[in-house]
Amino acid sequence: MSEVMSKLKKDYIYNLMLKGQREDGRAFDEIRDITLETHVIDKAEGSAKVQYGATQLLVGVKVQLGTPFPDSPDVGVIITSLELNPIASPTFESGPPRENAIEMARVTDRGIRESGAIDLKKLCITKGEEVWMVFIDVHVLNDDGNILNAASLGAIAALMTAIVPAERNGKGEDFMMPVREMPVCISVVDIGGELMVDPGRNEETVCETRISITSNQDGSICAMQKSGEGALSEEQVLQAVTIACKKAEKVREEHLLKI
Amino acid sequence: MSKPEKFFDENGLRLDGRRVDEIRPMKIEVGVLSRADGSCYLEWGNNKVLAGVFGPRELHPRRMQRPDTAIVRYRYNMAAFSVEDRIRPGPNRRSTEISKVSREAFEPVVLTHLYPSAVIDVFAEVLQADAGTRTAAINAAAIALADAGIPMKGLVSACAVGKVDGKLVLDLGKDEDNYGDADLPVAMTQDGDVTLIQMDGNFTQDEFKEAMELVKVGCKQILEIQREALKGKFSQSETEEIENEAVIEAPAPEVEKAENEKVVETEDDEMVEVETEDDETVEVETEDDETVEVETEDDETVEVETEDDETVEVETEDDETVEVETYDEEVVETEIIETEEDNENVGNVVMEDDENDKEPDENIDEDIGKGETNE
Amino acid sequence: MNKKIVIPGQFISNNVKNAGSGTYIDDGKVYSLLYGILNDKKRINVLPFSGKYIPSRNDLVIGTVIVVTPSNWIFELGSAYDGLLHVSEFPRRVDSAQMRGIMNVGDSVIIRIKDVNTAMKVELTMRERGLRAINYGRIITIMPTKVPRLIGHSGSMITMLQKETNCEIFVGQNGRVWINGKDNDMDRLGKAIDIISRNSNVSGLTEMVFKFFRNENDVDTVVSTSAEDADDTQANDTEEKVPEDTSRKIDMLLDPEDE
Repeated sequence: MSEVMSKLKKDYIYNLMLKGQREDGRAFDEIRDITLETHVIDKAEGSAKVQYGATQLLVGVKVQLGTPFPDSPDVGVIITSLELNPIASPTFESGPPRENAIEMARVTDRGIRESGAIDLKKLCITKGEEVWMVFIDVHVLNDDGNILNAASLGAIAALMTAIVPAERNGKGEDFMMPVREMPVCISVVDIGGELMVDPGRNEETVCETRISITSNQDGSICAMQKSGEGALSEEQVLQAVTIACKKAEKVREEHLLKI
Repeated sequence: MSKPEKFFDENGLRLDGRRVDEIRPMKIEVGVLSRADGSCYLEWGNNKVLAGVFGPRELHPRRMQRPDTAIVRYRYNMAAFSVEDRIRPGPNRRSTEISKVSREAFEPVVLTHLYPSAVIDVFAEVLQADAGTRTAAINAAAIALADAGIPMKGLVSACAVGKVDGKLVLDLGKDEDNYGDADLPVAMTQDGDVTLIQMDGNFTQDEFKEAMELVKVGCKQILEIQREALKGKFSQSETEEIENEAVIEAPAPEVEKAENEKVVETEDDEMVEVETEDDETVEVETEDDETVEVETEDDETVEVETEDDETVEVETEDDETVEVETYDEEVVETEIIETEEDNENVGNVVMEDDENDKEPDENIDEDIGKGETNE
Repeated sequence: MNKKIVIPGQFISNNVKNAGSGTYIDDGKVYSLLYGILNDKKRINVLPFSGKYIPSRNDLVIGTVIVVTPSNWIFELGSAYDGLLHVSEFPRRVDSAQMRGIMNVGDSVIIRIKDVNTAMKVELTMRERGLRAINYGRIITIMPTKVPRLIGHSGSMITMLQKETNCEIFVGQNGRVWINGKDNDMDRLGKAIDIISRNSNVSGLTEMVFKFFRNENDVDTVVSTSAEDADDTQANDTEEKVPEDTSRKIDMLLDPEDE
């Protein structure tokens, strides 16, 4: 199912943006109000509920015993999934994840993995035989745009509160998930050459090109993804990095450092 | 986790301190999702479920459409992290079965025939599972359906009863569910009609009769909680209203005017719309020799011929919108928009004795969802 | 006074003769079929808080073109049912090849529902003055069940909105509202419509909205220029000159020259 947005509505949003304004009165570099709650699901080893404006999702972290991959016998395993549940939007359908959901899951995964947020060596129990497997499941509940940034924030927050259930599995004492970095993903969209952060649902429909940048505490970049039909100039890409790193720092300070 | 040594203490209270006929605490929030047409978040003990309703909406693929009625789809889905051991996302045999019987639990109360060819989608997401998720999901879904404006003969309330250590207990907790001797989830209408019943374990026939009595009490309690949740949804704006009324000194002049008799002057090519109150008289002044056609709610046509500058009085029966359209030298049509319904139209929602096909004409005055509001 | 909230299955009355919309009769008693507000001043009606639009013959609605076939435009109407506009129902002769040039996917159109059959096949027509594609102004979407509150008694609400904002307003029965005026006037009108939409269950709504404009004007006066004061005076003049101000400014739409 797809939604046809009326041209009038599209034009309205587009023209507003050309004037430097947004539908909800935000500035171009302004992120919607974020609410982050952790420890929301007792059954999960770690969990977080994120609200990015009206966008809502839950991230649950489950930690289970498993075997390492042959090419990396001494490190734990991270598996990230993202479900665009049909409850979240009239345009989402039941069924296995499609390319959008898979892309978002992989970008979220890359931010966690490449930043080295989790010390995977500490998740190895017996080299080549037994490791902890970390399942990060993103359950999208309401899509009002920019699921990706909400998912990425929820994922790291859920990991930061996760406890490895060693005792239950007869592997010694429980311990906190070895988290050593706080990657934050910020998406920037192009609108008539200008860059705008945190696109809402209608803005996502109007803006064709998007770049998502995940950055670390020291301002370094650990993951990036351009998506959408359009192209970005080199200057825009560089500018997007500056904006994303600055915004990521703010989100990290206001939300993650408080956990 | 292992089986508890005993399920009752010396006072006959259960593991979590409940009496045998006591349900776990329930917390309900209505309208929590902006994208769904109706939604409900429900916590019941340690269960956390979210229900969202979409529709009635267009049904694809088309071959599934039924020309005489809407279909209901119900998807019970567990989040991967909702249980002790992670489950793979997506449907499995268990969730498929629960989805089917849950859908059938609602079919007797939802007035699907009002929406031919369409679909009403109910999505129930189990975010945290702790025994009794299917009943929790049904309780949430009933509220989400009401919140979506879906016409129903009543809510559906669901609860389980079981047997633990030979004793009947209402609303099984996790251990009682895992290690009990029987589990009987039931969904009921407000009249006590059973719309879902499943059972596993072992009951004697006498135990079963007693269990049904117990579960009926549980469903009644839940129905009350559901009702309160729906009635509480707007309490906040009620407060706002009181504040507002307190400070208003003089009503807007427009309001006073609204109470007066309306005289509408029409000009060439002009279309005007007038809303009327109970038993109010609308005067339509016409400029030329024109015919005024008035369609009334009984599909009866009254024709009035007017002369120059004559005043035509149109009396309307109810809160209705009268649209007067005049063209130069043309027929003036006064249509009572709200009332002009075909008998076959979906607008008629009045039924006698549960018979859906009886449609007394006098009731066909307003389409569903389009009533006029009295201030 | 508060309006009484009823829920599906709630007993309302023993007076079966007065059972109106949103109710059903069982065993000689009247019950609510919907979650909404009880209106039992005369007939017993339940006005639902929410609900999808159901196309009904002769309704004027705003539709969006979603498909153009060789002989039909298919419109999305904010309903479970799409509407079909056959080329013969367009006011003038159109060749197949010209159709997209006249109305294309994404275009919004003020249109009349010509007929609806039992299977809910919806036929549309534009063969009437005033019905046309709209390509300026804005479209605001409200819950269709709130349309009556937006129009108000005898059009009192809509009349006030027009006077206070100097905007043209057309209210489609499907909850789509077309507005046109100066940008800041449309912004104000949008806010007022939002207030109406969110408070449709309370009494004294007209006063509430009236107060919104008054307070807003107070604020304006502080920072205002004399030009805005002049606007105010003008608005008052209009009030006196056009006592029969109509609830829908369809007359404005009748003349395409107004564009």
